[in-house]
Amino acid sequence: MEIIEVDAYYLPPDIKKQVTSFRREVYQGKEVTIHLTIPLVNRALVETLANHLKKNRKQYLARLPIEQIIDVLDEASRKWLDRNYPFRDLALKTISTITGFSREVVEASIDAEMESSLREDIWKALHSEIRNPLYLDDFQYSPELNGLSRAFGPELIISIFSENIPALPHLLFMRSALVKAACLGKVATGEPTFAPLYLKTIEEIDPEMAKCMAVLYWQGGEVEIEDALFQCGDVVILFGGVETCKSLLEKVPRRIKTLIHGHKLGFGVIGRKRLSRQGLDELATAVANDCSMFDQQACLAPHIYYVEEGGEVSPKEFCQALARAMEVLNLRMPRGKLSPGEASTIHQLRATYELRELKGEEVLLLPSPRGTDWTVTYEKDPGIFSPSPLNRFIRVYSVKDIFQIPPAIQSIGPYLQNAAVAVGDEREKDFVRTLGELGVARITSPGRMSTPSMMWHHDGISPLASLLRWCDVEKKDEIEEMELKKGR
Amino acid sequence: MRELPQEILDLDEKILAFIRKGMDYQDIEAFNHLALRAFELQFKYIPVYRRYCEKRGVNPENISSWDQIPALPTDVFKVMELTMLPSHSVRTFMTSGTTRPDERGKVSYDEGGLGLMDATIYEAASAFLFPDRVMTTILIIAPSPEIIPHMIMAYGMNRLMEYFGSPLSRFLVGNEGFEVRVLVDELRRSEAEGLPITICGGSFGFVNFFDYCREKELRFQLPPGSRTLDAGGFKGKSREVKREEFVKDCGEFLGIPKDYCINLLGMTEISSQFYDNTLRNFHKGLNIPKAKVNPPWTRTLVVDPDALEPLPPGETGLLRHFDLANRGHILAVQTDDLGRVTPEGFEIYGRSKEGEARGCSMTIDEMTHIRKER
Repeated sequence: MEIIEVDAYYLPPDIKKQVTSFRREVYQGKEVTIHLTIPLVNRALVETLANHLKKNRKQYLARLPIEQIIDVLDEASRKWLDRNYPFRDLALKTISTITGFSREVVEASIDAEMESSLREDIWKALHSEIRNPLYLDDFQYSPELNGLSRAFGPELIISIFSENIPALPHLLFMRSALVKAACLGKVATGEPTFAPLYLKTIEEIDPEMAKCMAVLYWQGGEVEIEDALFQCGDVVILFGGVETCKSLLEKVPRRIKTLIHGHKLGFGVIGRKRLSRQGLDELATAVANDCSMFDQQACLAPHIYYVEEGGEVSPKEFCQALARAMEVLNLRMPRGKLSPGEASTIHQLRATYELRELKGEEVLLLPSPRGTDWTVTYEKDPGIFSPSPLNRFIRVYSVKDIFQIPPAIQSIGPYLQNAAVAVGDEREKDFVRTLGELGVARITSPGRMSTPSMMWHHDGISPLASLLRWCDVEKKDEIEEMELKKGR
Repeated sequence: MRELPQEILDLDEKILAFIRKGMDYQDIEAFNHLALRAFELQFKYIPVYRRYCEKRGVNPENISSWDQIPALPTDVFKVMELTMLPSHSVRTFMTSGTTRPDERGKVSYDEGGLGLMDATIYEAASAFLFPDRVMTTILIIAPSPEIIPHMIMAYGMNRLMEYFGSPLSRFLVGNEGFEVRVLVDELRRSEAEGLPITICGGSFGFVNFFDYCREKELRFQLPPGSRTLDAGGFKGKSREVKREEFVKDCGEFLGIPKDYCINLLGMTEISSQFYDNTLRNFHKGLNIPKAKVNPPWTRTLVVDPDALEPLPPGETGLLRHFDLANRGHILAVQTDDLGRVTPEGFEIYGRSKEGEARGCSMTIDEMTHIRKER
């Protein structure tokens, strides 16, 4: 059996020497054994590291032109997209063993994340949020201000990840680099290996930039470490469940800017005009994709797909097509391993649908041929948004009219994130507007739920602009003179 | 009310006789026969269960062993009534744990089924709670059935009190809450008179009382023979760690030794109760490992959580119980409790559902909390 040694941390080389105590965790897979090396973290290490990252940032990253930063990030993404990149292979082996996701799921998630992290989109994201990316390099003329503006990123961003979606941490390191901030991330117990590997890629490309980034890992709730950590940064970004974020937030000093990405809900809506025989299989495949990526664990994934009655294809027929597509996709990209609790939850819920169906209710249960691989259920919209137990369990609610949906989801507005919408007629515009008003942060087409672009306002906020502080020079007379001279 | 159909009365008589033979009577064939007969009648009288079995290709003619009887997951009791003779129901019990009444599991009993449950309560307690045949004052840290008629634990403890309690026995949670002063006075009296006492209740009720003792610096040294019976368990932490703390607290605050601290697994969906064998072992001088014991009229299997196929003894999986006293609803019940079968009975490790979210999507539990807050 192959034994793989992996670090559940990344420290800049010059500080690595200072860490002498490590512990090891072992994960036994079918074909490989993963040995995770984890440094023992204490208050002193966190403080030393934070100061070190800030110093390195001041000397290098803060002065690095944005164009160069983007070049580095682009190159890193391209490396990861290369099927032969050794770290990619390593990540596929380790992440699938540690998280239980299938190799194919991890591979799809890395591809999706890296394809949306290329040069062109990074520029676009900056343009979208701050209009002129050169504001990050120096004072630039702003015609509206009729003055000069410059954007400054924070010194050090502290980021806490509490979920095992492999690509989330990399996104945060990218964003930090783009605003020229050092970044110290605490990765999740469930998946601590991707971020360290990503930073090794940055080290390969630009070792000086990598010196401004670090990843640590400890069990959550270590009060002393977390207190010290939050004192060191000037921005804190939290990912996690409602309770986790709430308890972490209490520890963050008030002067520190905090962004919270709590757990969210996704759903899909298909209007009757889109329910035609032609294109049914494509539509079903697209929806199956939404429900299967990351095994539905990401907040982008749908819990419910609302399907409208009155189309050429009935909601029930759509469910049959979706079930076929779920099985096809499961053969190509198998669902990961579940904990006993996750499997049990699925069986329990399936049984309630099955018995309702057997009793003669307007309900369908379409389970995978084996085990708990995937589940499609059908019922008339009960008027309440019942979350899915996830792991490829999709509830289909049929609705007489799509405008029945907004009142049912109004009360959970703050938790709505991502919606796939395919109305197919003139009502779409109104419907999209209504969803926007309710709190939905992204609307896309079926099949695209799991692949937001870099330009997306993540959870409804401007993820880059929110990190910035601006300085404007409003010296109208002098600037007009300067611009006039330039003009000549 | 009309009498129950004769075939049901006949079966109840046989099951009752089987239960009445007590804990030491083992008759594998008779159990199998009665289980299959109960299944046959449930198949006949509960149409939705019949269709469930037929979908799996199972009917009373083509199975010959109790372990082939299709089990229904506990959650189905939340969405529908599964009772052989709904019009004969005399009592309905409901699961707790959620504020939404439509999400609570419901199990109804006819007169005969209730009689079977009463018999299991008597026989199991005789063997595991009072193997020494003492009659004590039984104090119950729970509301009486008059206050919470739908709670099966209150019903069962009331029966314990009737069967085994002295006239001073009583419930200690009234409309005004937990009458902790009464408990303290009764414990002091027991100490003074030297008469052993039995304290029963939900595990959390005990924990609250221990907290109270800690705060008020109260300690009791109850007379030998005093005992505790706690039902339920503890969320979070490992069940074993919590159990050790619990038993330690029983010793520290009540002066009750660990052999006299008995845990009970009871479920709304299961008529019988599964006791720890601790006191019975101690009383009989048996040196065998602690376990939950299956009374002879029950069986427990462990199944693989994903495939739901039985696992070899000793492996950890989901517990599936078979109970003859469940004659009135569904004999075979699939729980979401994790555990394993041991030579003595089985061990339970707690609800398998208690898990952290893995991804960043909101979970059912989180949503439940949010809805409760509003």
